[in-house]
Amino acid sequence: MRHQADTSGSAETASRESRRRWRSWFTAAGFAGPWLLGLLALFIYPFVVSLYWSFCQYDLINPPRFAGLDNYEQLASEFATGTGIAHALWNTSYYALISVPLSIVLGVGLATLLSCDIRGQSIFRTLFYLPSVIPVVAASILWMWLLNPADGLVNSVLGSLGLWQPQWFASPAELVSPDSFTEAAWANNSAPIGSKDALILMSLWGMGNFMVIYLAAIGDIPKSLYEAARIDGAGPIRRFINITLPLLTPIIFFNLVMGLIQSVQAFTQIYIVSEGRGAPADSTLVISLHLFLSAFQHLNMGYASAVAWLLFVLLGIATWFLFTTSRRWVYEGVR
Amino acid sequence: MNTYSSIRGMLVIASLFVLAIGLLVSQQLLTASDTQVPDEREEVVFWHFWGGADRAIVEDVARRFNESQNDYFVRPIAMPGNNLDLKFFLSVTGGDPPDLLNIDDPVIADWGHRGAILALDEVATPDEVERLEAWLFPAARRLVTYQDRLYGVPNGLDIRALYVNKTMLARYGLSPPKTIADLDHIAETIAPPGQPAAFQHHGYLPDSRRIWAWGPVFGGQFYDSSDDHVTLTTPEIEAALKWMVSYRDRYGPSEIARFRHGDQSLPGKTFPLFAERYAIVMDGQWRVRDIRAFQKSQADRREEVAQFDAIPLPMPPGGKPNAGWVNGNNFVIPQGANASRGAWEFIKFWCGFDGQEASAAHTCVAGGWIPVSQHVVDEPSFQEFLAEEPLFRTFIELAGSENQYPVPVIPGAPYFNNEIKNLAESAMSSSTEPDLPQMLKEAETRIQSHIDRARNEQ
Repeated sequence: MRHQADTSGSAETASRESRRRWRSWFTAAGFAGPWLLGLLALFIYPFVVSLYWSFCQYDLINPPRFAGLDNYEQLASEFATGTGIAHALWNTSYYALISVPLSIVLGVGLATLLSCDIRGQSIFRTLFYLPSVIPVVAASILWMWLLNPADGLVNSVLGSLGLWQPQWFASPAELVSPDSFTEAAWANNSAPIGSKDALILMSLWGMGNFMVIYLAAIGDIPKSLYEAARIDGAGPIRRFINITLPLLTPIIFFNLVMGLIQSVQAFTQIYIVSEGRGAPADSTLVISLHLFLSAFQHLNMGYASAVAWLLFVLLGIATWFLFTTSRRWVYEGVR
Repeated sequence: MNTYSSIRGMLVIASLFVLAIGLLVSQQLLTASDTQVPDEREEVVFWHFWGGADRAIVEDVARRFNESQNDYFVRPIAMPGNNLDLKFFLSVTGGDPPDLLNIDDPVIADWGHRGAILALDEVATPDEVERLEAWLFPAARRLVTYQDRLYGVPNGLDIRALYVNKTMLARYGLSPPKTIADLDHIAETIAPPGQPAAFQHHGYLPDSRRIWAWGPVFGGQFYDSSDDHVTLTTPEIEAALKWMVSYRDRYGPSEIARFRHGDQSLPGKTFPLFAERYAIVMDGQWRVRDIRAFQKSQADRREEVAQFDAIPLPMPPGGKPNAGWVNGNNFVIPQGANASRGAWEFIKFWCGFDGQEASAAHTCVAGGWIPVSQHVVDEPSFQEFLAEEPLFRTFIELAGSENQYPVPVIPGAPYFNNEIKNLAESAMSSSTEPDLPQMLKEAETRIQSHIDRARNEQ
């Protein structure tokens, strides 16, 4: 009897346990379901479909027609002739490879300065963070005014100091280019600084986001390390190089990866300042804009999908490269 | 506690009641009688991009049409802002397009080729189409003809001429230009090259986007439709580009870029001609209204009233008279439109085709728009308007010219348009001497390849 009672009790317990497990599973599914549906419908499905479309001719109006490797062959031919995607890739690389390192250097520098115990520290922190909360569209229009070559504030200040006045968004010139070092480029009281350099300047204005992360990371560094270094006679620069910088490397690495992805995907501000077509003279035609124009102006959704996949692969390679090389310079503590 | 609970409950019920009433009222307001489709009439949904004062004119045209009708009822929907094309494509893809769309991009052939819009012969009778072709100005016909079929009807033409500040020219002892050499002389007199300080005034500066206008003036064509080829490397197009680049050589690319951007800092959308930044500017007919308003404000302030003129683009030797670039706002009927016949009736009403010229003339006068047919121009009310606005007459004469050309009406035209602008922009802003023949050759190959691909799609 006793044995029987034990058996029925354990069966009841198992059944209750099973019911509880099902209930918790349904609860979890109920909460996660909408998100999972969104993920499937808005991310996974477009992701997979765009891969298929990249092998098709598709103009939104008519059904996609399989075209084999046509779109990729077109990309290859553009690379060979330095047009289209090759030109867009150059513009994107120029923008990303200068703006990301610059934003890291300035972000770390600013965060270090703003972590010093000075009066009005919180005001300075707020001021430097403020640009990050301004909508991109408003900020872009503001920068178009500031950088107006004729009477924008920036050129007015440069002019009053007797300095060269760049043409900013009015010129396709590039500061980092062989042409920059010719005499003609610096003639007429102007400088070989153009639209892409202006975009980089704009991107630096919004680095408050990254600065806040650096500030948090600096605040997390044990004070004892600085005290020990000070007792050993290390000055502020030595302390920065040997303590702050190594301990910030995981955050620098995070910002490097995120900054690279963000700058390669930058679109809104570039669309606004470039008349929506990469003006002047295609100098701001970055990959994201090239993709948008191909898809929605030239109605070449298949080619645009191929560009998107190329962008995905390039970003993947760049991120992989950063992760691989990070082992050499990112300090991950004692394991 | 109970009292608080009951008060809170009553407040919630009262809030819900107010919300329900509010929803009912707003629903009633939104479907007010003037936008309700009368019984037994078919609704024609019309998307357009006009805002501000022009929107009121559009709504007035729709109201007049609706009053004249027993069969159709047009509901105009303003869609200001960018990307109307994108919204349209999403509506077509989603299976719920408007019945009529107004566009101003060079997309007629692209969309017609892909089957996104209907050719007019799919809606109108063959007789109507034939008569319409003969009725339209040549420039208006060119704007909407692809492979010998009409894919839309322009509801107004945009024509460019040179606006001249005669008062400013007189100050320098100059007259309006008749030739390209005259124009160059004016430019060099008002802004002598080599000036050490920044220029405050210019006689004229070519805008790189306007190579579409100067190409035909120099006698060139950008496209040969007889053998479907891009023709950028012709001597005429090269000469036009070379002439535009001569201003870069004269003043330097930085000065041109600086001065042009300075125009944007003028208050509001002030026409730079009023600020005497230029003595001559190329622009469209809509500036006539601005000039009148400016002269009136000068008179009100008891200042000397500046005198202006509008003249055709001056030619080089061997160039074409009354030539230039035309574009316009075009009515197109989307594929899958529910009320395509009603859309066609509204198009006819707006443009004045089939005996409705007087009504169209009234619309054009109200909006300051260029009619698409000489028959509308000949209407007494429009002639009266021309008598009051002599500057407008130049634009009307140009609209009737055989030498006004749009961006070629072919698949891939938006790309063609962008590339030509980029080509001229690159040449004019280059810090080193541009190799024009090479640039034209490369652009020709690139554009041809894109057009061939676009043509072979679908």
